[in-house]
Amino acid sequence: MKNRGITTSKIKNNAPAIPVLVWVGFFAGVPLVFVLVISFLTRDSLGIIVLEFSTENYRRIFEPVYLKIFFNSFLLAGLTGVVTLVIGYPVAYITSKLKGRQRTLTIGLIMLPFWISSLLRTYGWRILLDYKGIINNILTGLGITNEPVTMLGTFAASLVGTAYMLIPFMIIAVFNSVDKLDRSLLEASYDLGAGKLKTFRNITLRLTLPGIAGGFTLVFIPALGLFFISDILGGGQTVYLGNKINELIGRGRNKPLAAAMSVAMVLFITLVIYIYTKVSKEEVGGLL
Amino acid sequence: MKKTGKLSSTYLLVFFALLYLPVLSVILYSFNKSPSTAQWTGWTFDWYRELFGDPVIADNLKNSLTVALLTALLSAVIGTFAAIISMNLTKNMKKTLQSVMLIPLLVPEVALGISLLIFFNALGLPFGILTLVLSHSLFCVPYIYIMVRLRLVEIDKAVLEAARDLGAGTRQVIGTIILPLVTPSIVTASLLAIAMSLDDVVLSMYMSGPSTTTLPVHIFSRMRIGVTPKINALCTLILLGTFIIVGLSQFISRGPKKKEKIKNEDF
Amino acid sequence: MDRNLLEIDGVTKYYGDNHVLKSVSFDIRDGEFLTLLGPSGCGKTTLLRCIAGLEKIDSGDILLKNESIKALPANKRNVNTVFQNYALFPHLNVRDNIAYGPRVKKSMSRSELEAKIGEVLDLVKMKGYESRMPQELSGGEKQRIAIARALINKPDTLLLDEPLGALDLKLRKYMQKELAHLQREAKTTFVYVTHDQEEALNMSDRIAVMDKGTILQIGSPSEIYNEPADLFVASFIGDRNISQVTVVEKNDDHVTIRLGSNVINVRCSNKAGCDFKSGDKAYLAVHMDKMRIACEQALDTLKGKVGSIHYAGSQIRIEIDVDGSDFTVIEYQKNECLCGEGDTVWLSWEEKGGVLLPLLPLPGGLSV
Repeated sequence: MKNRGITTSKIKNNAPAIPVLVWVGFFAGVPLVFVLVISFLTRDSLGIIVLEFSTENYRRIFEPVYLKIFFNSFLLAGLTGVVTLVIGYPVAYITSKLKGRQRTLTIGLIMLPFWISSLLRTYGWRILLDYKGIINNILTGLGITNEPVTMLGTFAASLVGTAYMLIPFMIIAVFNSVDKLDRSLLEASYDLGAGKLKTFRNITLRLTLPGIAGGFTLVFIPALGLFFISDILGGGQTVYLGNKINELIGRGRNKPLAAAMSVAMVLFITLVIYIYTKVSKEEVGGLL
Repeated sequence: MKKTGKLSSTYLLVFFALLYLPVLSVILYSFNKSPSTAQWTGWTFDWYRELFGDPVIADNLKNSLTVALLTALLSAVIGTFAAIISMNLTKNMKKTLQSVMLIPLLVPEVALGISLLIFFNALGLPFGILTLVLSHSLFCVPYIYIMVRLRLVEIDKAVLEAARDLGAGTRQVIGTIILPLVTPSIVTASLLAIAMSLDDVVLSMYMSGPSTTTLPVHIFSRMRIGVTPKINALCTLILLGTFIIVGLSQFISRGPKKKEKIKNEDF
Repeated sequence: MDRNLLEIDGVTKYYGDNHVLKSVSFDIRDGEFLTLLGPSGCGKTTLLRCIAGLEKIDSGDILLKNESIKALPANKRNVNTVFQNYALFPHLNVRDNIAYGPRVKKSMSRSELEAKIGEVLDLVKMKGYESRMPQELSGGEKQRIAIARALINKPDTLLLDEPLGALDLKLRKYMQKELAHLQREAKTTFVYVTHDQEEALNMSDRIAVMDKGTILQIGSPSEIYNEPADLFVASFIGDRNISQVTVVEKNDDHVTIRLGSNVINVRCSNKAGCDFKSGDKAYLAVHMDKMRIACEQALDTLKGKVGSIHYAGSQIRIEIDVDGSDFTVIEYQKNECLCGEGDTVWLSWEEKGGVLLPLLPLPGGLSV
C-alpha cells in the first residue's frame, strides 16, 4: 500500500514516538512497577516501609477476611454489569431504531449524565433513598409499606449507585453494536419461520455479543474502583477493595499490603480484558 | 420501519425519568429549608448565600480550575503531538503507543493513585497542583489523542501532498494545514479534559497536597461527615458550569459545518 | 518546442514485489502538451508522482533542464501538480489557496502576489471568486482553482493527474478544450495523465502509451492512431477489429496475407516494423469506422456474411463473419449497399485505416 504519510516518503519515522512513550511510560508504567516492588516488601510498626523481601502480603490476601473483600468487590462489579446490561440493552436497542432528531436527542440525553459531576449523581440517590426521603414517602403514602424502608447503607444501595453511574457506558457500547445490525438479517430470520423470541436469541443477541462484552468490560472495571459510591450510599457496611486499599494507605499505614491488593486487582482486570479480546476479537483501543 | 411502539416509548421515558431524578433531587433540595438531607420543609436561598461566603470553597474551586486548565493544556499538547506522529508510525509502534497510552484508563484510579503516591513520594515531588496536573493528564491524554486522530484520518492525504507540492516543508505543512484543520477537535477534546479533571475524585484524593485540595475532594469529605443543603447548592452550581462547557463544545463542533454547500450543477 | 525540458532516464520503481515502473526512458519537450495514456495500473500516475517528487524512484534519474532532481524532495522541485480530486485546502478561501505556494516559499511581495492572483484567476476565468470557500464551488470551478493554484508558481512543468475524471461528460468535453487552450496561453509544459484515449487524442501534442510499467509508444495523436507500434497500442487506441492472419508474401510496399479463404494486400505500420516472412502469423488491425461495405466483389476485399445489425444513437454497428473471424463495421449513415442479416458482403477500408502487426511487440516497444 502506498504510504502517504505526512512526509510522503516511504520511511516510517518511529523516533518521534519516543518522547510520548517515555512520558506515559514514566508516569504510568514506572509507578506501577513501584507498586509491584512494594507489594513484596513489609512495613514496620510505624508504617514505614522496610526493604525486606517477603511474600507476606500476598499470603495475607488469601486470608478469609481479605478474600471476602475481593469477593464483595467482584460481586458488586459483576452485578453492576448484569444490571446495567439488563436495563441498558433495551435502551440501546430502542434508540438504534429511532431516526433523525429523535435519535440525536435521545443519544444526547443518554450521554449527558456523563458530563454531570459524579458526586452529584451519587448524592442524588442519597437524597432519594433516605429514610425520610422521597421514595420512602411515596411508599408509605401509597400504603405499599407500613414503615419507611431502610435503603441507605445496604449492598443494594451501592449497587444502585454504581449501576446508575456506569449505565451510559453500557448503553453506548451496546448501541454501537446494535446499530450496525443488519435489519435484513432479522427479516430473513422471520421469513424462514423463526418467531420474535427465537430471532432475538439466535441472531440479535449473538451478533451484538461484542457490544455486550465491551459494555460489560467498560462497566466492570470502573465498578471495582468507584469506592466513593459505596462509601456515600453503602454507609461503609460492606468493605470493598477500593475502600480497603484507601484505608490501608491512610489509617492502616500498610502501604505494602495495599500495594499487593492493587496488584491483585490489576491482574484480575487484565484477565477480564483478555477474556474480552478473545470474546469479541477486537483490540483494546476499540473500547473507547 | 416500524414506528416506535408504545411499550418502547414508555420504557425510554421511565428510564430517562429515573436517570435524571437524582440530579433533579439535588437541585431541588438545594432550596430546602431544613438542614437535614431529605426532609423538605420549605423554600430558601440561604444555602446559596452561605456558599458564596465560604472561603474554603472558593479556595478549592480556584485549585480545581487551575488544575483543570493546566491539565487541558498539557494533555492537548501531548495528545495532539502523539496523534500527529502516530500517522507516520509502523503498525507495531502505533499499537504499542496506543496500548501504553491506555494503561491509565484501564487501571482503577485507586491502584493508579497509590502507585503515583508512592512514586511521587520517592521522587520527592511536592504534592499539590503539580502532582494533580500530572496525574490528571494521564487519563486525559488518551481522549485528546483519539479525538484528534479521528479528525486527522479524515483529512484528504492529497491535501497534504498538495501543500508539499506547492513548496511547504514539514513544519509548514503541520502549521498551515494540519493544525488549523484539527483545532476544533483539539478544543472539544480539551473541554472534555477540563470536565473530567474537574470531576475527578479518587485520583485527586491521593494527589492533593496539605493545602491544595480540589473541589470534589472537599465535597466528598464533607459528604462523609455530615451534609447540609449547602452541598446541594454547590453541586447545582457545578452543574450549571458543566452545562456551559458542554454548550461551548457543541457550539464549536457544529459551527463551521453550516457553511458547507456543495453545488453540483454546471459551473 | 525543440529543447528537452524533462528527461526521464531509466526510471525504475517497485512497490514491494510489484515492479511498477520498468526502466522508463523518454523526453518531454519544452512547451508541449504530453499525455501519459494507459489502462489502470499501468504506472502512469506513479510516474507522474515520481516526477513531482511525491514518490521516490528506486533507480534511474529524472533531469529537469539538464539537472538531476531525483534527490530533491517534492517541495523543492519547481514542478506543480493538479490532483485528481483537486485537493483544495478546505479551511482556506480561493485567494488563500492560490496564494499558498508563493506564501510558503516567500517568493513574492504582497503587491506582486495580489497582482499575480488576479492574473491567474483571469486566466482560468474565475475572477471574482476570491472569497469563496472550496466547499461552495462546483467540480469544474474547483478544478480551475486547482490549476490556478499551481500555475501561479510558474512551474517548469505542470503535472495533471486525471483532472477531468470526476466531471460529467459534457463538462469534460468543454474542459478538454479549455485545458488545451490554457496550456498554450500559459506557455507551460503540461504532463497529463489519463486512461481516456479520446481525451488524449483531443488535447495532446504527443501521447506516451503505457502498459505494465513500460512505454510502448510515443508520438503525435495521428501517429498513435494510425501507426501503432504494437498490438496493445492498436487495441487500446481507437476501435479496431483485430484478427489473426497468415502471411503469404512480403513485398516492398505491402504484404499479402490470407484470412480464411480471403487473400488481400495490407500495409505495415510505420512504427511496428515490417519484418514478415512467408508463413508467419500476424495481426490485422483495422479501425471499425474506416471500413466500407460493398455489395459486389472487388479487389482486396474480405468476403463475409452479415450477422446482426445494431442501432446505437448516431452509430450503426454491423457484425460480419469473415470465415470465422468477427468483424464489426461502424457506420454513421445508411450505406448505399442496403444489406440485411444473412447477406453476403465485401469489406474494404481506406489504406490508412488498417495495419498489419507482428505477433510479438518490438523489444523495448519504444519508438520516438
